[in-house]
Amino acid sequence: MAPLIPQGFINPDLSLFFAFVIGLGFGYVLEQGGFSTSRKLAGVFYGYDFVVLRVFFTAAITAAIGLLLFNYMGWVNYDLLYINPTFLWSAIVGGVIMGFGFILGGFCPGTSMVAAIIGKIDAMLFILGMMGGIFFFGAFYNTFEPLYNGSALGSIFVFDSLGLPRDLFLFLLVFIALAAFIITRKIEDKVNGIQSEKGLFHSSYVLPFAFMSGLALLILILPDQPKAKWYESDPESLLVEVVSGDRYMQPEELAYKILHPDENDLVIVDVRPAEAFRQFRLPGAINIPLDNIQSRENRRRLKNTGKEILLYSHGSTSADQAWMFLRRAGLDNIRVLKGGLNNFFTGFFAEQEIPASGKYSEKEQFERRFVERAAKAFREGEASRKTPSAAQPVRTLINIQPPAAGKGGC
Amino acid sequence: MNPYLAGFLLGMVLLASFFITGRGLGASGAAKSVVIESIGRVSPEYAQKHPFYASFFATGDGRPMKNWLVYLTLGVLGGAFFSGFMSGRAGLKIDKGPRISNRTRLIMAAAGGFLFGLGSQFGRGCTSGAALSGMATLSSAGFLTMIAIFGTGYVIAYFFRKLWIS
Repeated sequence: MAPLIPQGFINPDLSLFFAFVIGLGFGYVLEQGGFSTSRKLAGVFYGYDFVVLRVFFTAAITAAIGLLLFNYMGWVNYDLLYINPTFLWSAIVGGVIMGFGFILGGFCPGTSMVAAIIGKIDAMLFILGMMGGIFFFGAFYNTFEPLYNGSALGSIFVFDSLGLPRDLFLFLLVFIALAAFIITRKIEDKVNGIQSEKGLFHSSYVLPFAFMSGLALLILILPDQPKAKWYESDPESLLVEVVSGDRYMQPEELAYKILHPDENDLVIVDVRPAEAFRQFRLPGAINIPLDNIQSRENRRRLKNTGKEILLYSHGSTSADQAWMFLRRAGLDNIRVLKGGLNNFFTGFFAEQEIPASGKYSEKEQFERRFVERAAKAFREGEASRKTPSAAQPVRTLINIQPPAAGKGGC
Repeated sequence: MNPYLAGFLLGMVLLASFFITGRGLGASGAAKSVVIESIGRVSPEYAQKHPFYASFFATGDGRPMKNWLVYLTLGVLGGAFFSGFMSGRAGLKIDKGPRISNRTRLIMAAAGGFLFGLGSQFGRGCTSGAALSGMATLSSAGFLTMIAIFGTGYVIAYFFRKLWIS
């Protein structure tokens, strides 16, 4: 049922109220955590106070574990969370500049707000400087833009970048945190000349570590996906849908939409193998072979189109399988081309042989005329003239995200 | 407060943020909204045409200040003031290392803020929005930014030690 606002459970206007409430918690915890003094914050770089590292690492891991547990329980749809996109060099350059800012200024933006409101004059100056820096970026945006938007890798995950299974990575991360807690405790005691508690395990982090590693271990050993998540269709209602056949789109409707780009709000997805797609495709179609349809990236992007999705294959079987998978994964507004490409072309090209006689009713004559026009269009290329031709680059999935899709070729 | 408890509570706040809104926390975004709103007030034409600013007028009814991160930051200010006031930490003060003057400290704070503001644009978020929230969703960007910020800090700390330690 979550995230609540993207799912429409909460009115987006109310989100500002929730932002304020979440902010109250954020500010209170930061101030209580000791983040309102620059001396303490800078201590993490000089070894006399590692409170920043402890709070920061514990918070990140707590939230990461929480999100994965919520995802496992089906309480949060991970696909709808905002995953920071990775722009490799922009992130590195930005991080390095921020590192300099941290040493010189002794704050980061969030902590400077916390410090400024309780009267720290240095924090107020930091905030003014920060606005100057943002203005500077805007003023020279054209110069910075290639770096800012370059080396875009998409919303990738760190465990994929490292080639590790997700749950194993999380488990290792808890141990990295423990190592950091132990080492920084030793350094801090040495710098401050305090005789530490004997032994490796200082009492202050044993409990949090045990708790976190326990949860991480739980995630690691839990079997995969025990039950349908709340946003997924349950088997019974899915069966009803399968039998009803409401998902099928008749070839005529599709042909009409392809011929009338203004009324076409479809995302046409070809689920055949890439090779078949290269040889022939419907105008404006994109290719997601059946084997790839379950990838998270593809699901996420199809979900984000906000449009009706039409699946087709040679017959109906592959498209039906893809439909079943996507429905189960919680996507709706998906149709399947009735009878697939084979039926589509039999309908428009073979039917020419039937002589048009006076026996047809007005409605039937109308349908005949449409079939003839469609056949002509597809044969003579009227449809492909209005839409990206085979010579143009194949539309990729990136192009069908909401803003671009509105202007799409078909 | 015990730092691990504070971290756990902060993690819970972050989790609540994801649960309710689908996204994490952020702080530099509010400063950005203030900057952009100001530019919009001073010179609407420049702001509307600017490739970087224009998109911020396209959402929130054309008001950059009607923004999720702005309200979050208002909350942060409220929560922090409550905490600081109740704990007797509120009051005008300058925190600094023992070897520098107030003037040096204030100049350095402004310079650091400038760099953080600039860097947070490249990093698409600061320590909260990019590093902390990014790490919580296990995004590569989050870990990369976190390593770059703190890695740089440690590499250059020695050269700026006069600012902070005796």
